[in-house]
Amino acid sequence: MARRVVLAAFVALLAVLIAAPPAPAQQPKRGGILRMAEREAPNLDPHLSVSFLTHSYVSLVYSQLVRFPNGPEQKHPADFAILPDLAEKWTTSKDGTVYTFHLRKGVRFHNKPPVNGREATAEDVKYSLDRFMAKSGFRARFEPVQSVEVVDRYTVRITLKEPFAPFLNHMANPTFTAILPREAEERFKDFNHPDAVIGTGPFVLKSYEKGVKVTFEKNPNYFMKGLPYLDGVVIEITPDAAARLAVLRAGKAELPHIWGWVSPEEGKALKKTNPEMVVTPYLVIGQGIIYFRTDQPPFNDVRVRRAVSLAIDRKGWNDALLFGEGCIESGPVPCAMKEWKLEAAKMDPAKAKYLVGYDPAEAKRLLAEAGHPKGLTTPMFHWPGYVVPWRSYYELAADNLGKIGINVELKPEEYGKYISTTYLGKFEKMAMGPSTPFTEVDDFLYGTHFPEQPNNRSSVADAELSKMLVAQRREMDPKKRKEIIDNIQRYLADKAYYVYVPQWPQYVSHPPYVKGFQHHDGYGLGLRLMYTWLDK
Amino acid sequence: MKQYVLRRVALAVPTLFLVSVIVFAMMRLMPGDVATRMVEGHAYAPTLDALRKDLGLDRPVYVQYLEWIGGIVLKGDFGRSYWTRQPILEEFVRRFPVTLELAALTILISVVIGVVVGIVSAVRQDTASDYVGRVFAILALSVPYFGLAVLVVVLPSIYFKWTPVWTYVPFTTNPLENLKIMIVPALVFGVTRAGPIMRIMRSALLDVLRQEYIRTAWSKGLGERTIVLRHALKNAMIPVISLIGLQTPLYIGGSVIIEAIFRLPGVGLFFFDALTKLDYPVVQSVNLIIAAMVVGLNLLIDLSYAFLDPRIRY
Repeated sequence: MARRVVLAAFVALLAVLIAAPPAPAQQPKRGGILRMAEREAPNLDPHLSVSFLTHSYVSLVYSQLVRFPNGPEQKHPADFAILPDLAEKWTTSKDGTVYTFHLRKGVRFHNKPPVNGREATAEDVKYSLDRFMAKSGFRARFEPVQSVEVVDRYTVRITLKEPFAPFLNHMANPTFTAILPREAEERFKDFNHPDAVIGTGPFVLKSYEKGVKVTFEKNPNYFMKGLPYLDGVVIEITPDAAARLAVLRAGKAELPHIWGWVSPEEGKALKKTNPEMVVTPYLVIGQGIIYFRTDQPPFNDVRVRRAVSLAIDRKGWNDALLFGEGCIESGPVPCAMKEWKLEAAKMDPAKAKYLVGYDPAEAKRLLAEAGHPKGLTTPMFHWPGYVVPWRSYYELAADNLGKIGINVELKPEEYGKYISTTYLGKFEKMAMGPSTPFTEVDDFLYGTHFPEQPNNRSSVADAELSKMLVAQRREMDPKKRKEIIDNIQRYLADKAYYVYVPQWPQYVSHPPYVKGFQHHDGYGLGLRLMYTWLDK
Repeated sequence: MKQYVLRRVALAVPTLFLVSVIVFAMMRLMPGDVATRMVEGHAYAPTLDALRKDLGLDRPVYVQYLEWIGGIVLKGDFGRSYWTRQPILEEFVRRFPVTLELAALTILISVVIGVVVGIVSAVRQDTASDYVGRVFAILALSVPYFGLAVLVVVLPSIYFKWTPVWTYVPFTTNPLENLKIMIVPALVFGVTRAGPIMRIMRSALLDVLRQEYIRTAWSKGLGERTIVLRHALKNAMIPVISLIGLQTPLYIGGSVIIEAIFRLPGVGLFFFDALTKLDYPVVQSVNLIIAAMVVGLNLLIDLSYAFLDPRIRY
């Protein structure tokens, strides 16, 4: 018996070895400059701008205490595991309120005046986090933080007012916690001046010609030995989208966007004209939402909101606009956040139909029951400037709703007005647009459903829900937290506070000789480029 | 002449005053509020009121206007951008050479093409070359320059894996490289602007060619080249020159899109960016500077009439 088992095991092993000889992993080549075409960042100071361009630009330069996985480390683009960065290890107190970070020793800032390559220490961490909490537009994320203390040269203690499960995810988000040197601010007033952009990250900002290009060089003393592979990165400032794609086609840039993104339509066209290009679709984090004034008629009536959701032909939408590649089960938790998402199939079908179902007859019946037998008219505020396919999204939503008797008046707004009113929930009746692609599930739940939160665009005020929203933030056990988040998703299914339309894929494109550039939903570009190399 | 110039300069003052008032008012009538946008997520100040105070937006509108215009008139201070806090004049001066070069090349190209085609069309009226010239003019008039610009950038990239978009190099660093970068956008812009010049040139020259003194020149036995170029052209140029003067604001306005597509770091983009961010001082000051330039240029053009037609007296 034992012999047979050993034999079988041996045969199996042999079969595996013969059938699948390990593919010779391509050894990354060193050197080369990667060029990308992108718009100019509005500001270089990570605390004075919420633009993803700002944070992507400077993520090449700065490190954080902890970070998300990138390149070969990541399981998928929305993998938000927490890895060491400047902190080599950290501990959390049992009650989840005290975090102690132990820094790597000997990590030096880039060798530029006035910092001149001095060592990064706990003082820098305290200075940077305090500055973030005082200045950044994202400072509400750290609202539970009570204090940041320097324990010794290499140890920082952060004390929270209460347990806060999203804390490490926020700490790892490159948008929030770049570690900056104080001297640079003292000399240059802020970190917007190109000479003030001094960090400990994989690349050094070499020169900045305003309106023309930004040049980064590899940091020869980067603490991750052997990385980055590239000698440098150049951002060619290219405001026009058609021109960005043209320079990719013409071989004048390796990336047509700071994250390599092109729209599905552009991606398909690119594959036709340049079959050699690598064009990969990713289901990125995000949501397309129709949102309401749920505190005012007619959308304070859940039947009207359910009717809106039932009117959306998600499958037809996906086929018509997204080549069938989108996700039609978008909900309070975006499709790409696999760890947290509860599929509709695992919900009560009678409730789930109001989240993902399509039933125009039922929608009409609900409208009539709510006192609108002849339908109703509503404005739909929106910003028409979002990239493809957004303009078609508004029109398709209006068309779907028209079929059940909801007459939609499209109300395009100028960006300044949209972002300072509609985007913050200040509008009449109904609006539509994308949500911000956050990295922490809390932002999609608490941020968009808790009273008085700026992202609570539907003016949701639901006491029972609020209790669960607070509970998931305080639950430090990931398994238990997942249970609460599942329950929140079950609870929200038939409330239709927001109506979710299909989520679009994003195409990442580059020439075939660009290797190791993997999309990650975590905003940071520096770490993606750290693992990128050029096969030429 | 001197008196005329003085009178024109004096007239420019109320013109520019009106421009300043209109731009100032228009900016404040735009939907959206700059302070709200700067505070929401940008943390330029702890509260909206603090920011309004910081930017001076809490004071009465007329005080804001007087302060802005007063700074320009009394101290030559064009203010600072709300968003970057950088002096506007500095940024303008840094970017202006790009736009100026683009405009100069565009004017040169449109005038050369427009005048030459216009002359050929007029002199060879109702022949094949006239028809070709007129078709060209109509085409140039009807094709929008931004559409042509996108085609010029995109089509060669699809069919030839090549595109006329380069990384900008200043003229002072490398004149040849700079011209290589500037010539395509200037051609695109210039060709579309050549249409109206060609049409005016043709009709003006046809008018002049029918005048008595031209008939006299023919009867004296002068050659065609001498008659057209020495006797007729100078007089026919007057409406063409006026047209170029009238088109000047278009060269600046159009530069917004041309600069974006061909990635040239000029004034157009600076202005457009400020407009979308409701950066009042930038929009106001850049507008005023450009208005002053247009007024000045038009004056120069009016003065050039005397050179072209000595009968004109001021």
